[in-house]
Amino acid sequence: MIEFQNLSLVYPNGTEGLKNINVKINEGEFVVIVGLSGAGKSTFIRSINRLVTPTNGALFVEDEDVLQLNGKGLRQLRTKIGMIFQSYNLVKRSTVIKNVISGRLGYTGTLQSILNIFSKEDKLLAYENLKRVNIEEKLYNRADELSGGQQQRVSIARVLTQKPKLILADEPVASLDPPTSHQVMKYLKQINVEDNITTIVNLHFIDMAMEYADRIIGMRAGEVVFDGPVSEVTEKTFEEIYGRSIRDEDRRGGVEDE
Amino acid sequence: MSNQPLTLPKKPKSKLKLVKRVIVLIAIVLIYIWTFSNISIRWESIFSVRTLENIDRIIPRFFQPAFEETGSIMEMMIETIFIAYTGSLAAAVIAVPLAFLCASNMVRNKFLNNIGMWILGAVRAFPEIVLAIIFVAAVGPNPFAGVLAIAIGSTGMLGKLYSEVIESIDMNVIETLEASGANKMQILFYGIMPQVLPEFLSYAIYRFEIDVRASSVLGIVGAGGIGTLITFAYMNRNWEEVGMILLVIIITVTIIDQISGFIRKRLV
Repeated sequence: MIEFQNLSLVYPNGTEGLKNINVKINEGEFVVIVGLSGAGKSTFIRSINRLVTPTNGALFVEDEDVLQLNGKGLRQLRTKIGMIFQSYNLVKRSTVIKNVISGRLGYTGTLQSILNIFSKEDKLLAYENLKRVNIEEKLYNRADELSGGQQQRVSIARVLTQKPKLILADEPVASLDPPTSHQVMKYLKQINVEDNITTIVNLHFIDMAMEYADRIIGMRAGEVVFDGPVSEVTEKTFEEIYGRSIRDEDRRGGVEDE
Repeated sequence: MSNQPLTLPKKPKSKLKLVKRVIVLIAIVLIYIWTFSNISIRWESIFSVRTLENIDRIIPRFFQPAFEETGSIMEMMIETIFIAYTGSLAAAVIAVPLAFLCASNMVRNKFLNNIGMWILGAVRAFPEIVLAIIFVAAVGPNPFAGVLAIAIGSTGMLGKLYSEVIESIDMNVIETLEASGANKMQILFYGIMPQVLPEFLSYAIYRFEIDVRASSVLGIVGAGGIGTLITFAYMNRNWEEVGMILLVIIITVTIIDQISGFIRKRLV
């Protein structure tokens, strides 16, 4: 369970990233955060694994206040939180399998990892996860030989190899075309359902949010302006969150190629 | 749509710009005249009969290289290459920590960055031959002095180039590894090294290429290698041997350039 308690974040330049957030996210939920760019979606998600440090309040992840963590404690928390990024962030010159197994780094001793020694289980786990996202045949390819969608699937496999309790995805489909976007979202949803991993995704496409989310949190100017199950959400809700009428660019459209 | 032919708008002319350019031009010409008048070129001695005779006497002997000396010359050429190789290898390693110190995305402290830059800059300011003189004085006239001179001389350039490579890496990858709970050492080996190693290697090979050329003159001050032979042959006015030494250097350097170019193209 994740709980934001009166959480605020002010950046050094005075910008208010988050304003007094109070949100509770339950285990196994698939939450989509929507909002225009600059609304604080990224700051929200990055506070959870402390890639940014909130300046006020408390944020509990599994009964631990992440604001109090430092050094080893913080690294231990981060091993349990997988994160997926808009630009995939694979090491382009390394092989796919090396990228995926780097998800085990947090569980591996420094010396062992430098010497590239991973247990047999870890290697098999990495391979199994590549299979789950149907990209196991690219095992020994260099990451830069893959297309964008394939790279994002590899990054999902890397996150799974962390055996996370929670997956954060920061605009995971913003650089992909519509069919590939749906494919990536389907994998995320499937993993959420099968492994009961809490998943929090930032999106700005309203149709994708509606299709995949259990619950939608709307943000504007650092504040939560909507929070409710997807069944309560209509186009009107999005207009309220965005503070303007809905345009074509707010929809991803398209369906997955089969 | 108009039928008028398309014309470029007139380039704005500025009097001030013109004046500036004329001043710069005059300054350059003046400096040129000044320097020329100071180095006292004696045209009459360049075109004297004696010069022509000397050229006529020496140059043809360059083109009759002493092939019988090939064995001993090759031996010294190989020593030269060894000096260059050992020196650049040492530099390629020493430059790494200094480069990390200089890279502003690794050490987020302007003061430390500047210290690193000063060290590298100071080292770069010494020509290899001056370093060689210092090390001959320190460790005696042998190839080891040459290795030290090459190693220190190359560290300055490699450190600077390495730090630029480090500053151009994709920092998102680092953030991603951080987010997965990896520690600093693991991030170095899994996030940074794979991104920088091919470029590091490429620059090190390039520097080795330069070092082969640099180390072939170090012998002139007694720091080992083929330069020693050049000094002896020159002092004995043995121009055939000088010719042969030059031939060996030219061929060796060309071959090494070709090989290093080939390897570097395949690296990145």
